[in-house]
Amino acid sequence: MAAEGGLVWMYGVASGDLEVFADGVAGVGGPPPRTITAAGLTAIVGDVSNRDYGEAALRRHLEDLDWLARTARAHHAVLAAVAGRGPVVPMRLATLFASDAGVTGTLQERADDFRGALNLISARSEWGVKAYAIKPADPAHAAEEPGRPVAGRESPAAGPGAAYLQRRRAQLTAAKDARSEALASARTVHAELGRFAVSSRVYPPQAPDLAGQPTPMVLNAAYLVADERASQFAAAMADLTARHRFVQLTLTGPWPAYSFVGDGPGPR
Amino acid sequence: MADGVVTTGQRNAAHRLRIDADPESLEKGLVTLVLALVELLRQLMERQALRRVDQGSLTDIQIEKVGSTLMALDAGMAELLDHFGLTAEDLNLDLGPLGPLLHDGR
Amino acid sequence: MTGPGFDPVIQGERIALVDLLDRVLADGVVIVGDVTLSIAEVDLVKVSLRALVTSVSALMDTMDDSQEYS
Repeated sequence: MAAEGGLVWMYGVASGDLEVFADGVAGVGGPPPRTITAAGLTAIVGDVSNRDYGEAALRRHLEDLDWLARTARAHHAVLAAVAGRGPVVPMRLATLFASDAGVTGTLQERADDFRGALNLISARSEWGVKAYAIKPADPAHAAEEPGRPVAGRESPAAGPGAAYLQRRRAQLTAAKDARSEALASARTVHAELGRFAVSSRVYPPQAPDLAGQPTPMVLNAAYLVADERASQFAAAMADLTARHRFVQLTLTGPWPAYSFVGDGPGPR
Repeated sequence: MADGVVTTGQRNAAHRLRIDADPESLEKGLVTLVLALVELLRQLMERQALRRVDQGSLTDIQIEKVGSTLMALDAGMAELLDHFGLTAEDLNLDLGPLGPLLHDGR
Repeated sequence: MTGPGFDPVIQGERIALVDLLDRVLADGVVIVGDVTLSIAEVDLVKVSLRALVTSVSALMDTMDDSQEYS
């Protein structure tokens, strides 16, 4: 039971007959996870303090990237430990209840929703695909583009300043063209991969300094793929990587199906 | 708190570039800020210059002068980055909803 | 994650934080390029870069909309 001044952090919800073990995994905020069972469902929860996880504290913490990093990883670690045994509906970060009774109540009220989500993700996994535009080769060393003299109308002679502008134009045009090609490739890749998925979800592209890649991200998507089709999905990825020269593709997974379980048990 | 659910999906995680008072970190933090803005303006001017060239509204002499100045600015910028141990990507600050500060490809 | 026979592409610490945050925060994550100037750990001035560069960026976008060099 939740202690006085404590809150209950929900990691996820599994079917009631799943034996949940999160061996030796420290939960968010310290104590190891435990379970609450109701309505044929098992919620995986942890005890956290009101002081550190109440609304005011959370607001502060959610703006602190270091806290976010630690907490997100701890949350994910519990789900990863449990997910090997069967489908678990993963909660988003900071799904909190005031007490165990709140958890039980929600399991009972939303039992159909949880079971529907479990059905959707059963024997399926989420895979993440990101595509980046490939940095175009520097056209500065390429031959001057005919028909677009920088120096103006008649005189083709270019002093160093004019030549510099010519180079910059070529670089900017190349970058723009590369981006257009990359976007077209991204659309194709998404359509092709979608054929292997039960569902897909597209996220906004990640900012370059977060993503750790200097070129723009043109696709950031998640696909829910039946486990028995996972190798076909991987083969499709390899094929697309070979065929599309304007994008760099990366694959992550399998993930707990974060992207396919809706907004969680919050107020509707 | 009522016996209900609090789910928060905060969008903005402030990765605050903290500049403390020790001389080194202060200089580096402020320099990053200043150079990011200088680079923004440099790119803006470069694009505008190219536009003017394409429109044919500059004489050959003007083109040469503008081009040389921009070239010197570019070289000067590279020197400053090198001096302060910064890369072009360091200047590409993320403005949240506005996206990254600079267009890709310096 | 219950399927046998394929190797996980990501494991444990190799998960990129940004990919995790995309998924566990309801609206994804946006890193705000604000600068806090502090002395002796006392926050003094917060410079909002968004406010500072909004007009310049908007100008840039206006230029790019004419399709030449985005």
